[in-house]
Amino acid sequence: MTLLKHRPSFKLWVGVLAIGVVVGIVGTGNVLLNGHSAVYNVTREIPWGILIATYVFLVVSSTGLCLVSSLGHVFGIEKFDFIGKRAIILAILTLLCGFGAIGMELTHPIRMGLYTIISPNFSSPIWWMGTLYGLYLVLLCAELFFLMKGMHKGAFAMGMIGFIAAITAHSNLGAVFGLLEARPYWHGSFLPIYFIVSALVSGGAIVSMIVYFNHKTTGEPMPQKYEDFMGTLGKLQALFLLILVFFVVWKIIPGLYGHPPEKYEATVAVLSGPLAFNFWFFEVLLGLAIPVILLLNKKTRTPYGVMMAGLSSTVGIFFMRYDLVIAGQLVSMREGTADLVGGLLQYSPSVTEIAIVIGAISTCLLLYTIAERLLPLESDH
Amino acid sequence: MKNKRFAIVLDTRRCIDCKACTVACKAENDVPLGSENYRNWVGEEKLRGQYPNLGQSFTPCQCQHCGNPPCAHVCPTKATEVNQDGIVHVVADKCIGCKYCMTACPYNARYYNEEIEAVDKCTFCTHRVYAGREPACVETCPTKVRVFGDLNDPSSEVSKLLTKYPSRVLKESQGTKPYLIYII
Repeated sequence: MTLLKHRPSFKLWVGVLAIGVVVGIVGTGNVLLNGHSAVYNVTREIPWGILIATYVFLVVSSTGLCLVSSLGHVFGIEKFDFIGKRAIILAILTLLCGFGAIGMELTHPIRMGLYTIISPNFSSPIWWMGTLYGLYLVLLCAELFFLMKGMHKGAFAMGMIGFIAAITAHSNLGAVFGLLEARPYWHGSFLPIYFIVSALVSGGAIVSMIVYFNHKTTGEPMPQKYEDFMGTLGKLQALFLLILVFFVVWKIIPGLYGHPPEKYEATVAVLSGPLAFNFWFFEVLLGLAIPVILLLNKKTRTPYGVMMAGLSSTVGIFFMRYDLVIAGQLVSMREGTADLVGGLLQYSPSVTEIAIVIGAISTCLLLYTIAERLLPLESDH
Repeated sequence: MKNKRFAIVLDTRRCIDCKACTVACKAENDVPLGSENYRNWVGEEKLRGQYPNLGQSFTPCQCQHCGNPPCAHVCPTKATEVNQDGIVHVVADKCIGCKYCMTACPYNARYYNEEIEAVDKCTFCTHRVYAGREPACVETCPTKVRVFGDLNDPSSEVSKLLTKYPSRVLKESQGTKPYLIYII
C-alpha cells in the first residue's frame, strides 16, 4: 500500500495531462483532415465504437457525481455537504467532455443543434438524451453558481431539480440502448435501471478520489472530519458495488439460460469471447472484486484504501461501458456475412479513436485541476 | 405518391448470385466505392447436404421499407422519412451522423455515405419509380427474381403473386412489417 507514497509532483501531473490533451488534439485534427471512415474502425455493422463508450462513461460519471453530491445539499446528510462544489464542477466537466467525445463520433454536430430544434422527433431516445442532458447541464451550472455564491436555498432548489434531471436523463441514456429491439443484448428495461445503479458507483468512486487527492496536495494530515467521511463513503460504496454485482450477475444469467438467440452469442462474447479479458480482468477484478474486498475489510477501509477502491472501480467501469456498447453489436444482423471470426463481427479501436479518448479524459482532468487552483472550492459549512 | 403501397416480391429460387442488382444499384445511385458501401446485397444461405449432393440458396435483400420502421422511430431529427406510398428514405441535410438508425435496423440495410455525409439506404429508386420506371435492381435482374409494384392495386403483378403463392418476410418477430416479401 505504498504505491502512491512517492506521489508525482503537481508539475508532472499537469504535464502528463497536457500531453494527453495534445494527443487528443492531434487525433481530432486527423479526423477533421481525413474523415471518419479513414481513421475510425467503426463499420457498417458496428457503427458505435469506443467514442460512444467513452461518452457513456463520462456522462455516467457526471450523473454519479450529481447524485452523490445531492446526498449532502439536497438530502441533508451533513457529512456529504463539503463535497458539493467540487462534485458539481467535475460533473459539469465530465458532461462537457462526454459531449466532446460523442461530438467526434457524430459527423454533423452543428446540424444536430439546428435540426433537433426545428425538426424534433419525440419518439427518439437520442433526441431526449440531448434535450435532457442539455437541461441537466444548465441546472448543474445554476447549482454551482448558487453554491459559489453561498446561496443555500437556490442551491437546494437547483440541486433538487438537478437530481431529478440527472435520474431522468440517465435512465433515458439506458433507453437509448434498451429500446433497440434489433439488439437483443441491449433490449429491455434492464439498462435504464442498471445505468442509475452504476452511476452511483461511478460517482462514489470519483468522489473518494477527489477528497483524497485534494487533501493530499495540502501536505497536511487528514482532519478527522475527512477521515470519517471517507469511512462512511467507503461503506456506502461497498453497498453500491454489491448492488452492482447483483446487476452484473442477472445480466449474464438470462443471456445464457436457454440460449436466447443473439443475446446468448453476445453474452458468450463477453464471458469467453473477444471481450473476456476486459470482462474478467477489468470489470470483475478491478471494477468489482478488489474494491469490494478493500471496502468490506475494516483494516483497508482507510482513506487511502477507499481512494484505491475508487480508482480501481473507475478503471473497471470504463471497460464496463466499452464492453456493453461493443457486445451489443458483435452479433451480425444477417446470415452469411463474411469476415466473421468465431461467428462474431470484429471491432478494435483505431489509434485515432484511442487518442480522442485520451484527449477527452485528459481535458476533463486538466480543467478540473485548473478549477481547483483558481476557484474557492473549500466549503464554508 | 398517394394511395399506393410499393413493395418488392422476390422469388429466391431464381437467384443465381450474380450480384447484378448490387452493381446496378451502385451505378444508379452513386453509391461510393468500398466493400461497406452498398444499398442492396445477396445473402448466402448455408450450404445444404454433403458432397456431391449439395444445395444452396441466395437471398437478395435491401431496405425492407418497413410499415413499422425502427430507423424512423429512433432518428432524433426526423431525417428518416416515410412517404405516403411507404418508401422510407433519408433526408441527407437533416442527418447528424449519430448512426442510431444503423443500430436500430434489424436488417443492416443502412451505411454511412461519406460523399453525401449522411446515412444512406435503398429508396426503391424513387427517382425512377416516380417517373414510371422500375427500380434499377428490378430492371437489371437476369432471372427476374424481383418484381416491383403497388400492393394497393389488386391487379398489379405483386398482388397477384402474393395471392397465388404463400409468402414470408424476414425477421417477422421484430414486428417491423417489411414490404420486401419472399414467396419462398
